[in-house]
This record gives sequence, structure tokens and C-alpha cells, in this order.
Amino acid sequence: MRKFAFAESGEGFVPPSTADFNLPPIFGTNEYTTKPIFLVLFSVILISAFFIIASRKALVVPSKLQFAGESVYAFVRNGIGEEIIGREFMRFVPFLFTLFTFILTNNVFGIIPFLQFPTMSHVSFPYVLALISFVVFHYVGIKKQGLGKYLMGIAFMPGVPKFVYILLTPIEVATFFLVRPLTLSLRLFANMFAGHLLLLVFILGGDHLLKGVIGLKLIAPFAFAFGIGMTFFEFMVQCLQAYIFTLLTALFIAGALADEH
Amino acid sequence: MEGTLNLVGYGLSAIGPAIATGMIFAAYISGVARQPEARSVLQPIAFLGFALAEALALFGLVLAFVL
Amino acid sequence: MGSGNEEGAMWSIFGYLISGLIIWGGIGWALDNWLDKNFFLLGGLLLGAGSSLYLTWLRFGRN
Repeated sequence: MRKFAFAESGEGFVPPSTADFNLPPIFGTNEYTTKPIFLVLFSVILISAFFIIASRKALVVPSKLQFAGESVYAFVRNGIGEEIIGREFMRFVPFLFTLFTFILTNNVFGIIPFLQFPTMSHVSFPYVLALISFVVFHYVGIKKQGLGKYLMGIAFMPGVPKFVYILLTPIEVATFFLVRPLTLSLRLFANMFAGHLLLLVFILGGDHLLKGVIGLKLIAPFAFAFGIGMTFFEFMVQCLQAYIFTLLTALFIAGALADEH
Repeated sequence: MEGTLNLVGYGLSAIGPAIATGMIFAAYISGVARQPEARSVLQPIAFLGFALAEALALFGLVLAFVL
Repeated sequence: MGSGNEEGAMWSIFGYLISGLIIWGGIGWALDNWLDKNFFLLGGLLLGAGSSLYLTWLRFGRN
């Protein structure tokens, strides 16, 4: 690779980088007490509290809170579960629902004032979620079809001349066991990471412009306005990524359940 | 600032497939919207076109890392 | 057959293409390093892209 480098012009602006994502520990030097860990714990408490309160007094004519909880549940159950998985979808709705609400809450933390850090921009969290999804859909497939038949169904595409399997089987196996969980986690990670970096660029850049000469001060409001616009755009991306992660998990489960995938 | 020029080249080379993918799905959506029963005919064509455009983009990505 | 199906098909095509390029391109790259040549990588990449496209056609293109 050919390297290039721009000389620092000495203006003192430090562009946001990956270092901005490594937050220091909150309590002393214990590296397990960083902000993302607390955000995950907080999200679990928040989700549980919300849905317990929303479903405690279930009425035929729902209150506002119950309506909000039920519409999220109905969205996952009908829009993702029933639509994609089909006949046996009820077994997987708790899993899909947990996945969706967990990812959505942790993503939206990225734009909530004072929290302002999307947990999923640390790659280890999406890795674990993709690992769970990976285990679930392979387990479902093996349980439904038996180990040998499931693996043969993945590795050998029906209706192809024999010698082509040399070309296709490595690709199929790599897709199912490596690329699928990897792309599942990296898509979520990259979206959250890039989105947070984008907001940092606009807000920190605007802040730096504000310290400059008068001409630069006049430009600063535009940077902040862009930052605010991008915040709403980020909200859309965060919801979309939570949806896509759940949708793809449901599709993988449906593929594992189908006889010939 | 530091970086490699390969990434700039990859960024430029991704423009073409991006536009191509957009055009393929725009045509597919408007075709299905006009004639919903043509969906099963159009779907494989759209997916193959998408795969071809995407293959070029991924070629660029791999070559940006390798060269 | 909702719109989720098309979304899933798109991502799985993307997965096929990327794993085809990685597998066969990786084999080509390894052969290059081993035998000290420079054409196996290009050949591997072309082979991987071609077989991925063939796989895509098998899965989504034939009716």
C-alpha cells in the first residue's frame, strides 16, 4: 500500500478518531466499569421496566403505555416473525423481540442527550449478538433436519453437474459458517461507528470554528445545523439497523427450517 | 492525517456500482409498481444485475486491500 | 412473500460474492506467495467472482 500524509497545519484541530471510542473507566482503574457496560445494563433495566409496566394491567381498551408496548410487539411478531418464518413463527417471537428491543435501545442511546454513545459502536457487542443468532439458527436447522442432512443441504446445491461442486461447495460453506455471522455483526457495528463519528465531526468541527476568526464564526451555525439534521438521520439509521439485524436473523432461521434451504 | 491512496481509489471506484445498483432497483420497483404480476419475471433479472454490479464493487474492495 | 424476502436475497447475494472472492482470491494469493508468481491472485479473484455469480444464478436466477 502506498502511504500518504498531510502535514498538520498547526491550527490545533484534532479530528475525531477511533481513540474517541475508548472511554476511560468510570470507577478508578477497573476496566470493566466503562460507559458501554453501564449503558448495556441500563438498557436491560429500561426495557424490562418498560414492558413489565406496559403489560401489567392489560386492558381491552389499552392505555397509552400499553398501546406503545403492544405496537412494538405486534411489529416484531407480525412484520418480522409471521411474515418471514411462517408456520412455526411463535416459537421464535420471544427471541426476535428481545433482539430487536435490545439493539434498538442500545442504538438510540447514541442520540439521547447525556448518554450519547451507541453501545454497538464497540465491535464486541455485535459479535456476541451475531454469535447468539448463529448458534440459534444452526441449532434450529440441525434439530429440524438432522446433522447430516442439514450439512449436506448447505454444502451441495441440487441440480448441478458433479465437478462444479469443487467450485461451489467452499463458497457455500464459507457463506454459512463465516460470512453470515461476520457481515451480520459488522454491518451493525460499522453503521453505529460511522454514525457516531459523523456526528462528532460536525459538532466538534462546529465548536472549533466557533473559536476561530469572525468569518469562521459565521460558518459555525451551518455546521451545527448539519449536526442536528444528521442526528435525525442517525435516528432513522439506528431504527433501520435494529430492524435489519432482526430481519436477517429471522431469514436465517426460516432458511434453516426450510427443507431445501 | 495519514492514510493510503488505495482507499481514495476504492472510494472513486465504488461510485459506479453504487449508481448502477440504484438504477437497477429503481427500474425494478417502477416495473413492479406498474405491473405487479411481472414480479416473478423481473426479480431474477434484478438480482442478477445487482450481483454483477456488486461483484465489481467487491473487486475494487479486494484490490484496494491487496495491491 | 413480502419485501423482507428481497432484502434477505440481496444480503445473501452479497454474502456469496464476498465469500467467493475471499475463498478463491485467498487461495490465489497463497499460491502467489508460495510459488513466487503474480497471476494466481487475479485468476483466483476472477474464478471466485465467476463461481459466485453462477451460484447466484442457480439460487435466484432460474425459474
